[in-house]
Amino acid sequence: MPEGSPTPRRLSVEGLNVSRGEARVLFDIHMHLGANEIVCCVGRNGAGKSTLMKSIAGFLAAQSGRVQSDGVDLNGLPPYEVARLGVKYVPQDKKVFSDLTVRENLELGSYATQDYDWDPALTFFPKLKILMDRKAGFLSGGERQMLMIGRAILGSPKVLLIDEPTEGLAPSIVSHLKQVFTELSKRSAVLIVEQNLPLVCAISDRVYALKEGRLVAELTQRDQMKPKVCEDLL
Amino acid sequence: MASWRWWRGILITFGLLVAMRFFLPLPFMNEVLVFSIYTIGCNFLLGRVGFISFGQPAYLAIGAYGTAFYLFYFGTNPYLGILVGLACGVVFSFIVGLLFVRLRSDYFALVNLALAVIVFYMFQKVLAEITKGDNGLWFLTNIASTPILNLSRPSEFFMFVMILGVLIWAMYKYLDDTVFGACCLATKLNETKLEFLGYSNFKIRLTAFVIANSTTALAGCLYAIYLGFVSPEMTSPARTADPVVVTILGGVGSLLGPIVGTIAYTGLRDVASKFIGNWELFVGIILVFIMMSNSGGLYGSLEKLLQRLFGGSHEPSPGKSATAVKQ
Amino acid sequence: MSVQLLISGVIFGLSLASIYFLISVGLSLCFGLMRIISLDQLLYYSFGAFLTYSVSTLTGSFWLGLLAGVSVGVVLALAVERLIFRRIYERELTFSMITSFGILLGGIGAIKGFWGVVPKPVPVPFDNQVSLLGTDIPLYRLLVVVLAALVYGGIWLFLNRTIIGKAIRAGIEDMEHVEGLGINAARLFTITFVLAGSLSALAGGLYAPLIMVDPHMGLEVLAFVFMVVIIGGLGSIKGTLYSSLLVGQVVSIGSLVYAPLAIMAPFAMMLLILLVRPTGLFGAALAK
Repeated sequence: MPEGSPTPRRLSVEGLNVSRGEARVLFDIHMHLGANEIVCCVGRNGAGKSTLMKSIAGFLAAQSGRVQSDGVDLNGLPPYEVARLGVKYVPQDKKVFSDLTVRENLELGSYATQDYDWDPALTFFPKLKILMDRKAGFLSGGERQMLMIGRAILGSPKVLLIDEPTEGLAPSIVSHLKQVFTELSKRSAVLIVEQNLPLVCAISDRVYALKEGRLVAELTQRDQMKPKVCEDLL
Repeated sequence: MASWRWWRGILITFGLLVAMRFFLPLPFMNEVLVFSIYTIGCNFLLGRVGFISFGQPAYLAIGAYGTAFYLFYFGTNPYLGILVGLACGVVFSFIVGLLFVRLRSDYFALVNLALAVIVFYMFQKVLAEITKGDNGLWFLTNIASTPILNLSRPSEFFMFVMILGVLIWAMYKYLDDTVFGACCLATKLNETKLEFLGYSNFKIRLTAFVIANSTTALAGCLYAIYLGFVSPEMTSPARTADPVVVTILGGVGSLLGPIVGTIAYTGLRDVASKFIGNWELFVGIILVFIMMSNSGGLYGSLEKLLQRLFGGSHEPSPGKSATAVKQ
Repeated sequence: MSVQLLISGVIFGLSLASIYFLISVGLSLCFGLMRIISLDQLLYYSFGAFLTYSVSTLTGSFWLGLLAGVSVGVVLALAVERLIFRRIYERELTFSMITSFGILLGGIGAIKGFWGVVPKPVPVPFDNQVSLLGTDIPLYRLLVVVLAALVYGGIWLFLNRTIIGKAIRAGIEDMEHVEGLGINAARLFTITFVLAGSLSALAGGLYAPLIMVDPHMGLEVLAFVFMVVIIGGLGSIKGTLYSSLLVGQVVSIGSLVYAPLAIMAPFAMMLLILLVRPTGLFGAALAK
């Protein structure tokens, strides 16, 4: 790589504008994510956080703007292509394939990349080993979240987009996930949408604040990241 | 409602139809009028309530046979015949509607198609004793001359249907303007909200269903009078597409769409049958073509053209059509 | 009614059920995965029958005809999926209903143009009768039933033991999640649609020797297939199986008792079931 040229970011969003039907939801969003960073995006309900993630992942079309991963344009690609390029989206709905077993869920996760090395996922979530042959529909909320994340990290994605992972989960599971995210960032760039401000402040390298569809702040200093500060921004 | 502006669209259209009567063959005009009435029910259901029915021929046949039975077995007054047929249509729609309107839209469409087949079968075989099966019921000679407008004469029939048409279109336009009309549209777009506002989706849908299908039945009565003959063929499975095609052709949800669509469809069919002779191929291609191009039908395109020529709205634009892209 | 009549009625009902099942399972899968109503399946059914007729008459071999029928069905389904359905998956259900009905109608016109309106006979590949509980049953009908059962088994294996099948089951639950895992949705849709088309064509070819092949055969079967699909519930393979069996028997035994029952009875049954369960016995909810 020639000296002086910038390394393409793991994820870069420039001037993203997204509408849902007639209503504009996101205004001119600029965001980036570097390798091995954990970046959190905070905002109230309806601020546009999920819309942001869905647009990056390809589930929603953007009116204008650019989304790139490692220099490759993601705009206009169907969601499965975005996933294949290594940008994986974990939705907030805590849904897994209920009629399939945990094992089969993981098989589907491996299918696209043909990476059947489940060690990373099972190291993070050892409980999944016991649940392998259980139908995913019988898992608890926390177990489902674990399965969703475990499934998503198969194939070593470059970027993980995780939408409100700790919502509705017990504190013990939340702290477990805290560790998982920190470990995950060693392999992938992680962008998390969260409303749990203490968690955000504990693990993030940077924080973006989203208010009514606009990026109102970017916190880059650790001392800036306090729950109170975030709250005030929103 | 009394304003010229309100009536403008309807009167201009019907005025044009009267003018066309002098250039085009009377049978064609009569067919266009009655077919339009047949279609407006389907259009209303699809455009306002969001239900597509592949079974409109069933209601057409109920109305037609109701009138036919009366004129064949009981009396000779065509007006009474129409009333009888219409009453049959209303009662039938109400009973059927009690069950059908609870269904999801895809089940609704399929179930209506099954209904059309059942009705066909009933008139063709099961009730063949009284319906004379495939031979149909002939009662042209039974229709008495009536004072004021003699329905047994095509030109006076035309005038009758014209007046009826204006009234029917005015009724639908009026409905559109009322709370009921808004509710119908709401029931298609956001039923949950409607329930929260205190309206019963079921009652709204049932009422709309009965109105739409009674109109269809009325068209059946008119067909019966006009042809002096009914047969099960009018509700055969192959005919289920007719009102749907015309609705789409004319523009879903548009008030005057059925008329424009019918003229186009009937005209095209008469012209094309000289060349293709295979109307299913023709209808199928048109249908697919229109669905894929989705320009709001002929009326939608016409409307846009008129807007550009005259500025301002010629007719209020209907809400999102049933074929709009999902949000 | 004699026992013999009853037994042949049951077998007749089973063979009807087989045909209904083959067509309905395709309709159900297409709905479950792609949220479309694919009425054009009845067109592949018709083409399957007509190609079977033409090729078997030409070559003298029914099986060759059947093969031709299924092959053409596959090709047609592929063409229609690529050219038309691929562009309308995002639209509402009514959209696919109307469009597929247009395809069906247009296709019937094409059949009429090519083969004419006169019904055509297709000779049964073998005439043998088999004796079952004292009744003579045509072996061919039994074969149809056996083949349909094999197809059911095949579908079960496909959906439960292959990764594509599991992806389809997962997609029926939530297509967004499947795409999020990097799985090619477009390909999944095509596979499912073509599978449905091939089964419908198979149904047409298999049924051809038992009826007269005519352009409107698709429309005649349409109402029954609808009833099967509605009773069983759109989106459920198990439901389709049960309701095919049910409707097949009702139509068959019903027509033995009193001819008009053949169509009235399933219709009445459908209405009753809808009263209690508006989405059919095993119907999938439409919640996205």
